[in-house]
Amino acid sequence: MAANYSDDIGPMAYPMKLVSSEMVEHMMGWNIPEEHQAMVHAHWRSFPAVSKYYHFILALIYTMLMVTSLVGNGIVIWIFSTSKSLRSASNMFVINLAVFDLMMMIEMPLLIANSFYQHPIGFQLGCDVYAVLGSISGIGGAITNAVIAFDRYKTISCPLDGRINKVQASLLIAFTWFWSMPFTILPALKVWGRFVPEGFLTTCSFDYFTDDQDTKVFVACIFVWSYAIPMALICYFYSQLFGAVRLHERMLQEQAKKMNVKSLASNKEDASKSVEIRIAKVAFTIFFMFVCGWTPYAFVTMTGAYGDRSLLTPVATMIPAVCCKIVSCIDPWVYAINHPRYRAELQKRLPWLGVREQDPDTVSNSNSVTTTQSHTPTAEA
Amino acid sequence: MLDLLSLVLVVAVKVFKKTTPNGKVTVYLGKRDFIDHVDYCDPIDGVVVVDTEYLKGRKVYSQLVTTYRFGREEDEVMGVKFSKEMVIGQEQVVPMINSKMELTPVQEKLLKKLGPNAFPFTFSFPEMSPSSVTLQPSEEDQGKPMGVEYCVRTYVAESEDQKSHKRSSVTLAIKKLQHAPASRGRRLPSSLVSKGFTFSNGKISLEVTLDKEIYYHGEKIAANLIVSNNSRKSVRNIRCMVVQHVEITMINSQFSRHVASLESREGCPVTPGASLSKTFYLVPLARSNKDVRGVALDGHLKEDDVNLASSTLVCEGKCPADAIGIVVSYSVRVKLNCGTLGGELVTDVPFKLLHPAEGTVERQRFNAMKKMQSIERHRYENSLYTNEEEDNIVFEDFARLRMNEPE
Repeated sequence: MAANYSDDIGPMAYPMKLVSSEMVEHMMGWNIPEEHQAMVHAHWRSFPAVSKYYHFILALIYTMLMVTSLVGNGIVIWIFSTSKSLRSASNMFVINLAVFDLMMMIEMPLLIANSFYQHPIGFQLGCDVYAVLGSISGIGGAITNAVIAFDRYKTISCPLDGRINKVQASLLIAFTWFWSMPFTILPALKVWGRFVPEGFLTTCSFDYFTDDQDTKVFVACIFVWSYAIPMALICYFYSQLFGAVRLHERMLQEQAKKMNVKSLASNKEDASKSVEIRIAKVAFTIFFMFVCGWTPYAFVTMTGAYGDRSLLTPVATMIPAVCCKIVSCIDPWVYAINHPRYRAELQKRLPWLGVREQDPDTVSNSNSVTTTQSHTPTAEA
Repeated sequence: MLDLLSLVLVVAVKVFKKTTPNGKVTVYLGKRDFIDHVDYCDPIDGVVVVDTEYLKGRKVYSQLVTTYRFGREEDEVMGVKFSKEMVIGQEQVVPMINSKMELTPVQEKLLKKLGPNAFPFTFSFPEMSPSSVTLQPSEEDQGKPMGVEYCVRTYVAESEDQKSHKRSSVTLAIKKLQHAPASRGRRLPSSLVSKGFTFSNGKISLEVTLDKEIYYHGEKIAANLIVSNNSRKSVRNIRCMVVQHVEITMINSQFSRHVASLESREGCPVTPGASLSKTFYLVPLARSNKDVRGVALDGHLKEDDVNLASSTLVCEGKCPADAIGIVVSYSVRVKLNCGTLGGELVTDVPFKLLHPAEGTVERQRFNAMKKMQSIERHRYENSLYTNEEEDNIVFEDFARLRMNEPE
């Protein structure tokens, strides 16, 4: 170990080490044994070791995220898979996303343990396990977002027969798993790329620092595969969906005009506008979440491979990891909590949660007068 | 004694009524099926009886509402609703605004019978409004069926724009239907097509002629086929079917369903040089398509005697493409199978499927038949009567409303 320092600090530091161990400023990766030193890239060793308090704060953040993710995604899987009214093809994708998010959650106890040791437990093997979980859940989650966008587009643009059936849904789910495989298996087997510790050296991900052609191409490919393609699909399907909704609204308005619906003419306009705005809001939320979750990671890896590496301090590289974990915790809220039947089921099973949702079967199907009726208490009640 | 009883039954007028959950407002309608005669449409005439003390200065409003549903309720995501409700008529019923309003005979009788607390109201369907159609849901579909529905909603409120309350409002589902014109027309729809083959000379020709242009529900359709084979291929078998074309204009999509079909090898193969003349008989019925999703029906599902949706008629001078809502049309499709390499020869002959017009002999026969079914059903229902509050108008109060002329 000592030899290792001398390389970096120079001969002057060596006597200081002898004086007092507290005075020595450890560099990153100091506590990783000799035989595993190869997994730590030289870039990290140029930074002083991260204080143990940083490790503890990170562990605390991850503990909170773990609980949130476990509760949110756990309830989603439990309710969507056990209640009859929610057993539809579209909801299979929501379950699939929750499974990916739960996989990402499994990473979290590993990190918490790593944080206490301040190095990856199990070194290369532990690192591989951590990175495989992250890679499958990250890439799978991204493409599932795109698949959900596709399913919604199909359902909304042709409400008669556009709906995906269960066989097609199962195939699409299998597709999301296959989609996450190449960039998981290849680096795990060190065929192309490899998994290495990053940031505080307690988390692991694919290698974006090694300065060779192989790694650079790998980073570019994974950027396109797991970020650019899903994002393009999400944008495409939601914009198509928005167009379809606008078209339907316009046709309905034309029909209303033919029947001289004038008593509600002004109201109608407001109502239809709000449908479009509502769609735009939901679509934008999903897009924004994707951007928030994965852009930091994309930025860090692309900078590591092609840009100014001095920007990538250990703390800076931990931010993307936290970002994508936060998004995996929010997912169930965005996809499931917006679902009226899910809310109704939640209200039925866990009344203490205080979800106030009427059973959609008892609420009238219309979207203008009748639905609001039931909410407004009047004198004669 | 028996004669007297039957006399009372004949004179009695059936009236449908429904009361608000709090029991203060009752709506009476003379019928629930309103006929669109293409050039004019039956008005919706009803009477509201209200406890005036209960109102305390508030007013009673009535609305004619149409609801389009063009997608399954359970597929609604992202806040999109696959249904649209449109108020196509609104009227203040109590206090009456137009006291010189022309009353229909039913309204006059009801007003006389129900006393000073009864107020009439009349709506007319907008000229272009679509007919009621229900698309048959599949077994696993939950929620309301797709289609075009109408209802009359009556509620108590301070002003027109104020929201009504469930306890003081009542909704009666009604249907708007189209009946055939009095004369069926003399034109016999027919189609003549022929088919040549890439690698051999000669053609197979097929002529299909129907025996009528307008059929009534339940009637047998006779399709006369003349196949003459001047090619070297032979016709293996013949398929003949009734196709229902459904166009859902609000989302610009369409589909078709085979509501009756027949396949025959009789007289087949039609060898080169031979010809075949044959008549196929088909009866398109709703009850033989009970498990087919998307088949268009005339109105409600709960009725046993529900029939296939009638063809949509467009009044003269209007383009059929202008029709809105759900547009239904029918054709007889004949397919000749000319072997694996020969392919198929297909032709479509359009026809109309409707209810007989009021006042014709066919109508009387049809009504008699329907009455028989209805009586049977009534007996059955009474034997295991369940009080379905949700069901809109099945409430028929015979005893109190036997409105024979002054006693």
